[in-house]
Amino acid sequence: MTRFTLPAGAARALVPVAAAALLAGCAGNQVENVAGTPTVYEDPETTGRVGGVGIESQDVVAMTDEMMRDMLRNRMLAGRDVPPRVIIDNAYLDNESSSVINTNQLTDRLRIELNRAANGRMVFVSRESADMVQQERDAKRDGVVDSGTIRETAAQAGADYRLRGRITSLDAVDRDSQTQSRYTQVTFEMVDLELGTIVWSGLYEMRKAAQDNVLYR
Amino acid sequence: MRIIRKTAAVVTALLLVVGCQGLPSDSERLTERTEPVEYNSVVFTDYNLQRSWSDGLLGEGGRYRLSVERHGQRRTETGTTEVFAVIRNHTDADYTLEARTHFVDRDGVPTDADAVWKRFTASANSLTAYREYSTSDQPLQYRVEVRELR
Repeated sequence: MTRFTLPAGAARALVPVAAAALLAGCAGNQVENVAGTPTVYEDPETTGRVGGVGIESQDVVAMTDEMMRDMLRNRMLAGRDVPPRVIIDNAYLDNESSSVINTNQLTDRLRIELNRAANGRMVFVSRESADMVQQERDAKRDGVVDSGTIRETAAQAGADYRLRGRITSLDAVDRDSQTQSRYTQVTFEMVDLELGTIVWSGLYEMRKAAQDNVLYR
Repeated sequence: MRIIRKTAAVVTALLLVVGCQGLPSDSERLTERTEPVEYNSVVFTDYNLQRSWSDGLLGEGGRYRLSVERHGQRRTETGTTEVFAVIRNHTDADYTLEARTHFVDRDGVPTDADAVWKRFTASANSLTAYREYSTSDQPLQYRVEVRELR
């Protein structure tokens, strides 16, 4: 067995160092008067501190912005003398991918940004408000409330086009490095509600790779 | 005397090497930092991609990895504005880039939807095209900003 011995000078020098370490480390319960990590606002257009391979805020913003601008250059959607009536909600937007996402985030942002930018070139029908609207219409016709100040119509608005879409993905994992890769494809189509033809299509695709995938909720 | 000559030669060589490397991308003396904003233009907001200076050790200079081959605009069939920029990658590496377009009216007032970064890849030693469309059908000017995705 080999024994290591310190020279006398070195041992003497170590004594105060050890004492100082003991004092600093075992000083008992004390208030640690330092600020915690503050909450920070991040730009939704950037990846930010937490980023993985799924659909994230910057993808939602970029995707909906691209679709909005593309729709507004389509003659059948934004170039008609009589603005078409359009339904944009998530009733026909299917998430078949391995990403966790509330598809309302896509359709809500798309509809709101498009409604603001279209400025009358398209008319948006809120089919998810149909029950609410019918309730008020019935109350008006039953005399429970008066007829309001705008007008009366025979029925609620019928739509010319409705958005449908699909989110799909393809995952791959490197067994050695545990790097995960995901190719995500999001399709959007505007369907003619009389003929069933597709008058506009949009595609957004991306592939992301990350070693430690984050948890999406 | 010989020692002084040798030292002077070494210092001169060092200065030349330093001078040839040019100004770094975080230098405060880059021309792009203070040049006036011009519309109907494409600029690199990431000075690693392209930068120039006028007061370097050897006078004017510049460094570039990417350049803009051409850019322009035209009207779409609904009256909105289509802007395009053709980017040339001069390096042996692929670059993942982001670009956004600010649209302003003739008076320079921002009138369109907020500019959003759009991602695309410039392959090594190749050309790639970036396109953006306005939402407004009014005549517009544009300013495209390009940076590397980080």
